Amino acid sequence: MLPETRLAIATIGLLAISMAQANENQLELQQNPDLWATQLGNYQGHRYSELDQITRENVGQLQPQWQFSTGVLRGHEGGPLYVGDGRLYIHTPFPNKVFALDLEDEGRIIWSYEPDQDFRVIPVMCCDTVNRGLAYSDGKLFLGQADNTLIALDAETGELLWDASNGDHTIGESNTMSPLVVHDKVIMGISGGEFGIRGHMTAYNVETGEREWRGYSNGPDDDVLIDPETTLMMGEPIGESDLGLTTWPEGEWERGGGAPWGWITYDPELDLIYYGTGNPGTWNPEQRTVDGEPADNKWAITVFARDPNNGEVKWVYQKVPFDEWDYDGVNENQLIDIEIDGEQRKGLAIIDRTGFGFLLDRETGELLVAEKYAPETNWASHYDMETGRPVVNDEFSTFAQGVDVNTTDICPTAMGAKNMQPSSYSPDTGLIYAGINRICMNYEPFETNYVAGQPYVGATLTMMPAPVEEGGMEGRMGSFIAWDPVKGEVVWEVDERFAVWSGALTTAGNLAFYGTLEGHIKAVDIETGEELWRFKTPSGIIGNINTFRHNGKQYIGVLSGVGGWAGIGLAAGLENPEEGLGAVSAFSGLDEYTKLGGILTVFALPDSDT
Amino acid sequence: MLNKKSRSKHIGILSIAVLALSITTASADNQNVNNQAPSEQQASQEPGSFIVKDGKVDPNTYQGYLTYTRHCQACHGPDALGSSFAPSLSKAAERRSFAEIASTIAGGLQIQPGRVMPSFAEDPSVISNIGNIYSYLKARASGELGRGRPKVIEEMLNEEEG
Ligand code: HEC
Repeated sequence: MLPETRLAIATIGLLAISMAQANENQLELQQNPDLWATQLGNYQGHRYSELDQITRENVGQLQPQWQFSTGVLRGHEGGPLYVGDGRLYIHTPFPNKVFALDLEDEGRIIWSYEPDQDFRVIPVMCCDTVNRGLAYSDGKLFLGQADNTLIALDAETGELLWDASNGDHTIGESNTMSPLVVHDKVIMGISGGEFGIRGHMTAYNVETGEREWRGYSNGPDDDVLIDPETTLMMGEPIGESDLGLTTWPEGEWERGGGAPWGWITYDPELDLIYYGTGNPGTWNPEQRTVDGEPADNKWAITVFARDPNNGEVKWVYQKVPFDEWDYDGVNENQLIDIEIDGEQRKGLAIIDRTGFGFLLDRETGELLVAEKYAPETNWASHYDMETGRPVVNDEFSTFAQGVDVNTTDICPTAMGAKNMQPSSYSPDTGLIYAGINRICMNYEPFETNYVAGQPYVGATLTMMPAPVEEGGMEGRMGSFIAWDPVKGEVVWEVDERFAVWSGALTTAGNLAFYGTLEGHIKAVDIETGEELWRFKTPSGIIGNINTFRHNGKQYIGVLSGVGGWAGIGLAAGLENPEEGLGAVSAFSGLDEYTKLGGILTVFALPDSDT
Repeated sequence: MLNKKSRSKHIGILSIAVLALSITTASADNQNVNNQAPSEQQASQEPGSFIVKDGKVDPNTYQGYLTYTRHCQACHGPDALGSSFAPSLSKAAERRSFAEIASTIAGGLQIQPGRVMPSFAEDPSVISNIGNIYSYLKARASGELGRGRPKVIEEMLNEEEG
């Protein structure tokens, strides 16, 4: 109880300071526990709700109220927004339809919007035509279309207010992410790391769609918006200029990837946004060396802290210099206030693609904790806490093994021990809850040429389930875990047949929710992971579970609709590494459990229980 | 019914491209296997022909495997088994002729809205290997070749190198 009260007081303090600065409407909405006004629940990326009508005791009674088919077959990521006007706002993958659904009339369509997009963007979307959802502020909805058009819609009518072009699909740029509204700006990144694009983060005016700043992920400091005298790295000024240029072979930074396609979080008090950048261009590390030696390829796979007003970089932390595994560093940065060694710190926690759970100081970017949350992780033995660099294991270094050599049994796979599925942080327990992947890979780099708009990958990979530890579920490819971000320890773990590719939710009802690729939505005891309730939706879940209250009733809403990289990689099942070539796989294919199809399902307790 | 109709129209448009293509394919294949004995060369050159011995394959089928994993697997899933994004190509190889498959690879395909198969006409590393891809797919479709990365039959490897 005590820590909770302390937190409540801290929150009020924070509110007072930030009201003047942050987007007032969005901040106001996210502080109302009845609402779910931004994809990650709040600016800090907690995906936690104070609602407690649905509890450990009554969750077994939870029932679907109604379902809605989006009419779109591809993978459905993201989730419904509820801003208190009696409607749910949802979106779909390409063609990126938007629906306003009446909560009081079983999801009747109030309005719908469908952009007119060039379908030729589809083949440059590496891993399905997903979209991670809408943003909202002051009566406007914001959508990043697949074809790189950012649009604002009137939430009341669905009318188009403005559009802005954020990129060019003919050079491999596309969009999958959910924009974030901060102050009077809508901020959006870009996808296309498999097409040799040059990553960027851009801010647009909320009212007009005019571009206000753009910060690149690589190239000269002036483009990245770094000042080597003031921008910090591991708590010290960077010192050297233009590292985004000098840590690449000639010209390679121009196709150096670093696409920030994941989530953005925001600290209203420090007035900083946080996000991570993706893989550095081609997956063949040999083509990114300088004089035959590994080069850092900055600023790929880097956490950026930027001033949202002008894009200036406050600090950077590169998680993986010289990537050799496609460990895209885009996973969400959760802003959590913690006590470490008896001291209160403003923390930033990442359940990272690499299999490591990081904790950083979000004021300075110093590395505080780096421990494996997926024990099979073997590409690096540990992180050097002085330099902040991983200590790479030569046996699993695809550069050391060489071009056209198949480096085997690397853990985790390029999908990451966790991909984009956003985790949840409960201030009640101080733990992070995350769906993760337990998959390893063989990786073979090959020489590739850059052609604008064509894949620029340069490695083939095959995947297999990670080895199972004592007592684990045979053949499992995923888990749902509770992670202590300060101690760097897994507190409990529930194994799942397939990778857990859905966003998690925790609530004050002492519950954690997640979805499975077979299509189950599950509620577990937040303290033990014990399963308390499940419901099988019509298709696999790669969307996020959101909650809100309308007319006194707490609802749970989720988009199902299998797809994404998970659907591509796991549909046919994986090979059993223990069996000989050609043996029938002991590992089930996702294809045997679920098929495509986007459905929104809304749950609540029966009236007698509320 | 509908599918068939649109497909035949589509193939009609592309037949010229396919013709041009099969010529390129043949000459490229010649380069790949230039050291093989004439009779064997004939056998492995026929698009769709393959040899599987103890889980090992002829060099062309192996080249087909490599091309598939580099250029097709990202959408069509591992081992030509299909994915949630694109259909199984070992199944397609059972039903479709070489001309149909080649035309799809060169010209792309969009039957269902939101499902796009890109054209590889401009990608020489794919175009020069269409025959080999077809051999790999046929080998997978026959059930003779299992999942995963095959090895090359040693004698044929030596022939190629020697
Ligand atoms: C960007 C994703 C993507 C890539 C890469 C891709 N394909 Fe496709 N392919 C598709 C989709 C989607 C379809 C189904 C199109 C439809 O049905 O409308 C398809 C269909 C096909 C078909 C038709 C299947 C049938 O039943 O007739 C063939 C053949 C094919 N692809 C071959 C290939 C080959 C060979 C490669 C690699 C050289 C490849 N594709 C790479 C997405 C892709």
